[in-house]
Amino acid sequence: MADVVVLGAGVAGHTAALHLKRLLGKEHTVTVVTPNSQWNWIPSNIWVGVGDMPAEKVLFPLADVYRKQKIEYLQAKAVAIHPDGSETDPRPFVDIEYTGQGRAGEPGTVHYDYLINATGPKLRFEATPGMGPGGYTHSVCTADHATHAAHALEASIAKMRAGERQTLVIGMGHGTCTCQGAAFEYVFNVDHTIRQAGVRDLATIVYLTNEAALGDFGVGGMVFDQEGFQTTSELWTKSLFRERGVLAIVGAHVERVEDGVIHYETLDGTKHSLAFDFSMLIPPFGGVGLKAYARDGGDITDTLFAPSGFMKVDADYTPKPYEQWKATDWPSTYEVPGYRNLFAVGIAFAPPHAISKPLKTPNGTAIAPAPPRTGMPSGVTGKAAAITIARRIKNPDAPAEPASMAHMGAACVASAGTGLTKGSAAAMTMLPVVPDYDRYPTGRDVRETRGELGLHGHWVKLMLHYLFLYKAKAKFGWPLIPE
Amino acid sequence: MTDPTAPTAQPLLDVSTAPLPTQRTLKMRRNIPFQLVRFVAFDLRIMRMVLKGHKGDAH
Ligand SMILES: Cc1cc2nc3c(=O)[nH]c(=O)nc-3n(C[C@H](O)[C@H](O)[C@H](O)COP(=O)(O)OP(=O)(O)OC[C@H]3O[C@@H](n4cnc5c(N)ncnc54)[C@H](O)[C@@H]3O)c2cc1C
Repeated sequence: MADVVVLGAGVAGHTAALHLKRLLGKEHTVTVVTPNSQWNWIPSNIWVGVGDMPAEKVLFPLADVYRKQKIEYLQAKAVAIHPDGSETDPRPFVDIEYTGQGRAGEPGTVHYDYLINATGPKLRFEATPGMGPGGYTHSVCTADHATHAAHALEASIAKMRAGERQTLVIGMGHGTCTCQGAAFEYVFNVDHTIRQAGVRDLATIVYLTNEAALGDFGVGGMVFDQEGFQTTSELWTKSLFRERGVLAIVGAHVERVEDGVIHYETLDGTKHSLAFDFSMLIPPFGGVGLKAYARDGGDITDTLFAPSGFMKVDADYTPKPYEQWKATDWPSTYEVPGYRNLFAVGIAFAPPHAISKPLKTPNGTAIAPAPPRTGMPSGVTGKAAAITIARRIKNPDAPAEPASMAHMGAACVASAGTGLTKGSAAAMTMLPVVPDYDRYPTGRDVRETRGELGLHGHWVKLMLHYLFLYKAKAKFGWPLIPE
Repeated sequence: MTDPTAPTAQPLLDVSTAPLPTQRTLKMRRNIPFQLVRFVAFDLRIMRMVLKGHKGDAH
């Protein structure tokens, strides 16, 4: 009998746990260690953040699903990994600290034969003084944050209804942020909500981003094939900003936020201050701060984790200039070097480098969007690790299931407003996520890399909402729903 | 003097040359039968991508 442990029950970890149990059956144990008691379909937090959806619709309790699936569930956060065990205990194990189940604050240990680290991001609001729910800006990164953002937005709309002008600033809260898609979606949902409220003329909406150009999305932008022409995501996105009257500031690093003022620096090294009434800024992401120890108790955190706190896997981490970056630098098995039983998937693995070109201001400030690891790649890498483990439990020499972001595609549906007949979304697909200039002149397959705006995008987004919540609840036929 | 923290005093990106959609394009983006076709086309494209590229080793 083998014990498989999954750290984190987000998109990657929950997908991995469900597939592991499906593949392994009763003979082996699957244990999920996660501090949250509810699963969150994060992409729909955008709708929670504009008050179009209550938080309950994007959340459900994990305990029921795990009980039905016979998956062990520990509501706890992982603290440290001992991949070689300890001097008194040769089995690998994880130190945990309970966060619920009536044991909050209690320490514990969980032994494993195979381990998946799917702990996702730490939301690093502290990187920018004054940013985040404890400061002066809002967030939509959790359902709770999104609910607060919706209340503040409602208050701002009430002021406009009373005739007061409002400036709303939405974007990225640091030069090294990723997840531009979320801020992009939120800005157009806010625009849509304010239009529906009939007060758009009293709102100045500003999109403040670390992308050097609109449409970059942290993936270096995309080249689309549209009606016989190659067009760029930059042109396409600019068109939407113009049409909707949303102002844009690009290549910006937010330095600090004060009550009602955002201070930022732009790529040319100049510094600016922007007054706001409502703001939602996405924080930069980092690893969750897991530690690692050798058998003799020596600290091996720096060996297993990158300085960002994300876990090193089978990628080529040799530092090299942008011009020398290759698609083959990206990992494919998510196996931690030296450990055939340890994997890091979803946002938790350390990417070898960015995808967008990293830039610096003349003052040396980095304006370098980090690479996104969206829902699709998170789910696919989680499933791939589950398949590898199931194979290796039968045959320890079995090869790993590959899932490189330089080969897989991703769909990104950026909502631009809700409503079954009035909604719209920018529906994009790209193949591969990490551009490969050795295989494609534009880095990606132009037949599969497309962008389209329209009501159908909203339907797709809504369909994905119901489909992925259905799947995450492990309801009948769930394995048929792809990641 | 304008307030230096006002939106108009910011280094705003010039999007004035970006193409604007025509009335016809805007109408088609909300035209239910046309959008139904686009919905099916998009879903098929996702499915093709899932089959083609999701394994991560397909060339
Ligand atoms: C506002 C927003 C909108 C988005 N919209 C989209 C979209 O439209 N489409 C899309 O594809 N992607 C979208 N994304 C990205 C998507 O949410 C992520 O790609 C995905 O959630 C990553 O999955 P993950 O499992 O790696 O991390 P997460 O889903 O964040 O899961 C991490 C899990 O680890 C747990 N954890 C944290 N610390 C520990 C610890 N110490 N020990 C154990 N467990 C721990 C957490 O509680 C959580 O359960 C969006 C993201 C945001 C923030």
